[in-house]
Amino acid sequence: MPDICIYAQVHQPFRLRHFSVFDIGGGLDYFDDETNRRILRRVGDKCYLPANQLLEDLIRRSEGRFKVALSLSGVLIEQLALWAPDVLASFQSLVATGGVELLGETYDHSLASLANSEEFVAQVERHREVLQRYFGRQPTVFRNTELIYWDGLAPDIARLGFAGVMVEGADHVMEWRSPNHVYEAAGTPGLRLIPRNYRLSDDVGFRFSNRDWDGWPLTAEKYAEWIAGSDGESMHLFIDYETLGEHQWAETGIFSFVERLPWECLARGLSFVHPSTLAARPAVAPLAFARPTSWADLERDTSAWLGNRLQYAAHERLYGLRRDVLATGDAGLIDRWRRLTTSDHLYYMCTKWFADGDVHKYFSPYESPYDAFVVFMNVLQDLEQLIPEASAAEVTNDFDGWAESGMACVG
Amino acid sequence: MFGWEFPPFQAGGLATATVGLVKGLLRIGVEVTLVVPFPAGHSPIDGLRLVSADGPANALRLHRVPSPMAPYGTEEDYPALRAAAERGSRLGIVYGKDLFAEVERFASLAADIAAREPHDVIDCHDWITFSAGIEAQRISGKPLIAHIHATEFDRAGEGANVAIVQRELEGLTAANRVVSNSHALKRCCTDQFGVAQTKVDVVHWGIDGNDVPIPLAQERHPFASRSLRGRRRPPVVLFLGRVTQQKGPEYFIDMAAKVTRFEPTAKFIMAGSGDLLTRMIDRAATLGIADRIHFTGGVQGADVQRLYRLADVCVMPSVSEPFGLVALESLRAGTPCIMPRESGASEVVINAFKVDFWDVDEMTNKIVALIRHPVLRAELGRNGREELETARFGLEEPARLTRAAYRRAMSRMQEPVHA
Repeated sequence: MPDICIYAQVHQPFRLRHFSVFDIGGGLDYFDDETNRRILRRVGDKCYLPANQLLEDLIRRSEGRFKVALSLSGVLIEQLALWAPDVLASFQSLVATGGVELLGETYDHSLASLANSEEFVAQVERHREVLQRYFGRQPTVFRNTELIYWDGLAPDIARLGFAGVMVEGADHVMEWRSPNHVYEAAGTPGLRLIPRNYRLSDDVGFRFSNRDWDGWPLTAEKYAEWIAGSDGESMHLFIDYETLGEHQWAETGIFSFVERLPWECLARGLSFVHPSTLAARPAVAPLAFARPTSWADLERDTSAWLGNRLQYAAHERLYGLRRDVLATGDAGLIDRWRRLTTSDHLYYMCTKWFADGDVHKYFSPYESPYDAFVVFMNVLQDLEQLIPEASAAEVTNDFDGWAESGMACVG
Repeated sequence: MFGWEFPPFQAGGLATATVGLVKGLLRIGVEVTLVVPFPAGHSPIDGLRLVSADGPANALRLHRVPSPMAPYGTEEDYPALRAAAERGSRLGIVYGKDLFAEVERFASLAADIAAREPHDVIDCHDWITFSAGIEAQRISGKPLIAHIHATEFDRAGEGANVAIVQRELEGLTAANRVVSNSHALKRCCTDQFGVAQTKVDVVHWGIDGNDVPIPLAQERHPFASRSLRGRRRPPVVLFLGRVTQQKGPEYFIDMAAKVTRFEPTAKFIMAGSGDLLTRMIDRAATLGIADRIHFTGGVQGADVQRLYRLADVCVMPSVSEPFGLVALESLRAGTPCIMPRESGASEVVINAFKVDFWDVDEMTNKIVALIRHPVLRAELGRNGREELETARFGLEEPARLTRAAYRRAMSRMQEPVHA
């Protein structure tokens, strides 16, 4: 029977305000504080507060036998500190139980790993600082934005001092192997890889309230049974924290499910473990990720963020500004630029599933991916005009030469 | 089926819609007899039986001029508008009366034709043929379908002609079923004309995918002047439609003035004619952008396709646009489109910008972005075109839905009246 490792991603972006061509050069703020505050409050009330309370309660009642890991993005923590100190306090109280491990990631929940190695390292360091400041913790296991990972990233992560990485147990990577083991990075043997079991994860994350699914209704008893009947040493279950109460409304019974789950598992002799515990275990074998893999969509690649030419053009121009932005030494400007690296901005430009009106559209504040692009590019132009040196540089040419596959790398 | 316009007797979108529907119906195996109010020669469409409600119909062609109360559908009456523009005329006013006389004449002949021509269902298009449809229904007792493409409120706004509204009301009331080209127009039928919700079917228009646009390579750019040779050609922004209050041409001119502040090389084309044309030319001059805007007058046929291919973006600032066929045509030609949020096309098209017609600043924002970012043009152009190539925007899908409306009307007729 495998041990259970549950971890959740907690993230909210700084969404942009409607920024028109008339606003360029007008000294306006880029971010829609009002909307961001409102959404944070809503998600805080519907998800974070009740979920934190529930987990804290379960950890205490189980005397620490129930364990989870959370990955809080820096931009989320920053927004909590700004607008929802009560929710931040609730996270702090939850972490203080000792039953919650915090994972490392990029502060800005960005695609810096795909764009610029220096920037990637800088953002991971910033995230460490924010965890230290608000939680007094240092992460030992890493979880990149949307589980994006490939062999080439392993050395950077190892150099940053992490013992393990959460990765997607994608079919094209696992092939015949089970995700219910700890592996090691191909070419970087010191680094443990902990693959997500996407089938059981998505049973909760996506299918929980789907009445057409033959597993419906999913009870804690049934789920614990499935886990207990699985192969391997450890089962790695990863969901969006917002699944609890936001993606799956309270009315679906998601909270009752979580409330029952630890007891059903413990009763069957299953144990909960933290990612750092797994990262200290021996690996069964090396696992190679030839190209960037994520947990998104059926493709499990990076095409949700870098899948069309709008996204490439925006990404390219954004990272093309990095050197000049940093050279200004202007902390406010650098901070604003970094907030723009949050992956959500590119996600809103995804046209892949636009026609089906599915999940991408649901999460977007824009009427269309094209509207998202226009706002983002207007903001970048404004930012560019704030850089004294850059005004002389070429500005208006979109990058047009990306192959639509493969990964994006900016020098 | 009673039609008012049919090629080559065509002033606007009603003809396009009629041709599209007839072609689609024939393709899915529905037999169509089309009755037109002018001398009919050979049917231009294989399988279509064309019947003329003959009489002193020659006069009709002369009367085909635009006016604020122009009867024709919702789209572009290029030939008539060009003729009117050339004469610089304000002829519209005097023809209203004659038009009503024509409508009456058509209706009276419809009765004879309905008695003579075998049919299962009667279909008529907009108020101008409603009287004929009602007459035919009286004679043959077959179910009547009222196709509504635009109402007088759409065409004339506040200045609606009461006599036309009255005919619309009669037709919509007498019809066994109503077919509307958008949900918005359906709401108009139910809210303004009191038609029962359950009586109206929404069938969005499609276009004929066989009208393949001319490849871009064969086009010569009219603005490729000597001074620009070898450099990037200036961006072109297109307005295509009647230059009448309904189509919002003044918003286009105002937008053009704003766009040139950001993109001084941008060129604008206003293609179409109408009673506001002179005022638009004046307005462009007043705003100091006369040299940026080209007024083509009415255009038709291959020139329309050429304009779509030439333009970097097609803009529709229409105050009222029950459907908005131009949007489909533009997207089918691979040209990104900015369409009015309130339009039938907006209800079905995904890959386009949608703006409020009065929001000149937002229109400007989108156009400047399209000019500045070639990838945005490329993505919107390609995705829009691919979307338009799907079946729902062809002719057969609307025809199938229309046939379903026919069947509903026919089965209802067989039920006891008070069932």
